[in-house]
Amino acid sequence: MPILEGKELHIIGFLCNWCSYGGADTAGVGRFVQPTDLRIIKTPCTGRINPLFIMRAFLNGADGVLVSGCHPRDCHYSQGNFFARRRLEVLRALLPVVGIAPERFAYTWVSASEGQRWKTVVERFTEQIHALGPIPAFADPGRIETCLRGQANPYGGSHALTA
Amino acid sequence: MPSRLEELKDGIRKALPDLDMVLAWGQGPDSLRRKPLFIVSQADIDKIVWDPCCSPNLAGYLTGLRGKKVGIVVKGCDCRSVVELIQEKLVDRAEVTIFGLHCEGTIDPAKVRATLPGDARGAFGDCRVSDGRIRFASDTSLQNLAASDAFYDKCLHCSDPNAGFCDYFIGERGTPPPVSTAPPDALERLEAMGLEERFRFWEQAMDRCVRCYACRNACPLCVCKDHCLAQSRDPHWVDQTDHPREKLMFQVIHALHTAGRCVECGECERACPMGLPVMALKRALNRQINELFDYRAGLDPEAIPPLFTFREEEDRIGEKKWS
Amino acid sequence: MVMTEARFIEKQALPSWLASMRKHRRVLVPQRREGLTLFRPLDPGQDLDLDGLSSEPPKAALLPRDEALFAFRYRRNGDKPPRWGVELIETPPNEPTLVFGSRPCDACGFATTDRVYNAGTRRDTAYCARRDQTVVATLACSRPGPTCFCHRVGGGPDNEAGSDILVTEVAKGYLLEAVSSRGLDFMRESGLKDGAGLTAEAATVRRAARAAMPDGPSLLAAPEHVRAVFEDTAFWERTAAACLSCGACSYLCPTCYCFNITDEARGNEGLRLRSWDNCMSPQFTLEASGHNPRPGKAHRLRNRVSHKFAFYPSLHEGALACAGCGRCIVFCPASLDIREIVSQAMIQTANAEGEPRHD
Repeated sequence: MPILEGKELHIIGFLCNWCSYGGADTAGVGRFVQPTDLRIIKTPCTGRINPLFIMRAFLNGADGVLVSGCHPRDCHYSQGNFFARRRLEVLRALLPVVGIAPERFAYTWVSASEGQRWKTVVERFTEQIHALGPIPAFADPGRIETCLRGQANPYGGSHALTA
Repeated sequence: MPSRLEELKDGIRKALPDLDMVLAWGQGPDSLRRKPLFIVSQADIDKIVWDPCCSPNLAGYLTGLRGKKVGIVVKGCDCRSVVELIQEKLVDRAEVTIFGLHCEGTIDPAKVRATLPGDARGAFGDCRVSDGRIRFASDTSLQNLAASDAFYDKCLHCSDPNAGFCDYFIGERGTPPPVSTAPPDALERLEAMGLEERFRFWEQAMDRCVRCYACRNACPLCVCKDHCLAQSRDPHWVDQTDHPREKLMFQVIHALHTAGRCVECGECERACPMGLPVMALKRALNRQINELFDYRAGLDPEAIPPLFTFREEEDRIGEKKWS
Repeated sequence: MVMTEARFIEKQALPSWLASMRKHRRVLVPQRREGLTLFRPLDPGQDLDLDGLSSEPPKAALLPRDEALFAFRYRRNGDKPPRWGVELIETPPNEPTLVFGSRPCDACGFATTDRVYNAGTRRDTAYCARRDQTVVATLACSRPGPTCFCHRVGGGPDNEAGSDILVTEVAKGYLLEAVSSRGLDFMRESGLKDGAGLTAEAATVRRAARAAMPDGPSLLAAPEHVRAVFEDTAFWERTAAACLSCGACSYLCPTCYCFNITDEARGNEGLRLRSWDNCMSPQFTLEASGHNPRPGKAHRLRNRVSHKFAFYPSLHEGALACAGCGRCIVFCPASLDIREIVSQAMIQTANAEGEPRHD
């Protein structure tokens, strides 16, 4: 479903297949109502998540990114979330340096049976992102936009060469 | 009492017969620049130069010389690069002979020429550090500058001016460069800005970037340069459009790939032809790693970099409670 | 030959005249940005820098860092059976441009790329469309920079190759003299006053600049020597030992012109992009099979130097593909010096063959 323009923000959720995706499923089976801004990308484990996924998502215009995995000591692959915990804590330090509010990113642990918890996580995070508003956009939308949507940027080269 | 340069040359002269080559510095294309010198014969030893202009970090060449017995002359930060490479087994300790020095700080030619515009095109001779000032003779007069007007930014925060791990230490150990008041560096200036202002700062800065990858190729730890993820088509992390988004993404890739490994030798900033403050990202990540894991790269050849491992209970990672 | 018509503008009137030129064209000038001098669209809030060599040449005016050749969009064309068609979308045309404040070495870069992209039956349509609408007003240099060696590669501080107008700084301002008919037409519509009375002063200034160039042997005879060391792998290994294989030299070079073409897509739409490429990168000659004819940095440096000082001259009547601007020397993180490399090749082969030729 396309995002509801003007009502929804772009929130990406990276969920591990075993615990968190199961938890989201449980929330669905229980017919819990929650905001629909968050769209899920399933990975086998949070340990598979390259911190660059999160950065790429933000630079591509995601307003919020959430990572959710098994609780530490309960990782389906034993150790994946231990590595993820370290990597994602380190990533958090980079966000404010490039001008991205660190509250736009969060990581959490939701197990397969925690449907109610998943609903709470999604509600709280979506609220948090709406409070921050859309992420700042680059002044130049990019060559694809300008060529396909007919905006004025005919010269080639960096956007500054058209100022 | 021989000068440090003489002692260094002597040490290399004695060691060279057992080595395939020694890496040191020689005279560069102008009076403020020195270049890497690859010493293979005794005659090459006469070309060695040692002064505050010897900024290049030679450690980056070691990974391309595996299988050879290589000597290398290092300053404090260079030495940490070598140690980090040893920690990660990218360099074989047994193949490297390390000649360590105390570094008084290194000259940034662009800063000097900007501080002395009248002499910008001239020649500068005999650069020395004495009494907390950087002194050298230019075409027109004797000059002395404060460290903050002459040295690279990274030298103004130096904590390890002495090569910490070496086979031969040349000369006396000494203190970090003399800095009385340093103007705020890029990371400090960024942290004084609001979030959106920081975003615009990088958007503007990245306009100058030409994606030459000098920063990456100069980094001693970037051993993947021929196969860098940033240049792969599948997966397509970064595209070829000349847009600040792509160029900033590359910088983020570089910073995250060197997190916990970077020793802040400053080669990335030195190499950048467009004067981009790319060290700011790495310093922020190193600071976080130091806060979380009490770790700094390149100090202990036996240490395991923190992102290569984990603990079940992390002392300093509090986990967000979603109740 | 410089044509006899001349125009003049006072120093203090220059910024407003340049601003007035923006009504009908893009105006690119060297401006200070964070300690560098870069060619950017004229911005009254930024300082114009006409003193010294810019950090980056104005190459992007004719060869942009990236350029969409066309955009494309895949569309469903029916369901039984399902078909996809592709729509090609032209990119908008270029706008007329004035480049003001390039240096003779920068313009030599344009002359170099003209021979490749605008050569009789071989015309790169995108390049030529821009070239035909660009007026290059080159500022003659009054004194050399520390790494300038234009006079050793067939150029000089007042060389006209590649320019439409030669601008000389005189006591009261700038004298503009047309070099091409395009330059002449532009000057006639520029609204500037006649400058015929100052041509003698300008000629004196330029003569003094030529005399101020530092000593150094000509490199015009380099091609046969550089060609002669091609097989000497030890020479190239030694020369390239410090090279980092980055692209700083190529991207800041006024005469480097190689490009890459990639399709950049987002789902069903995207564009075919031409972007700068550089031969120092390992991927430059990497073939689909995985074979790479230039696997090491010595091979690649050999190619870069040989292209500029041997292969290109052999295709273009001895013209070197080096403008002598020295930016590669200034910006190389490993301090490689192309003057030294070429000189070493000449010394080495001269020893082998005897006295070097002096023609």
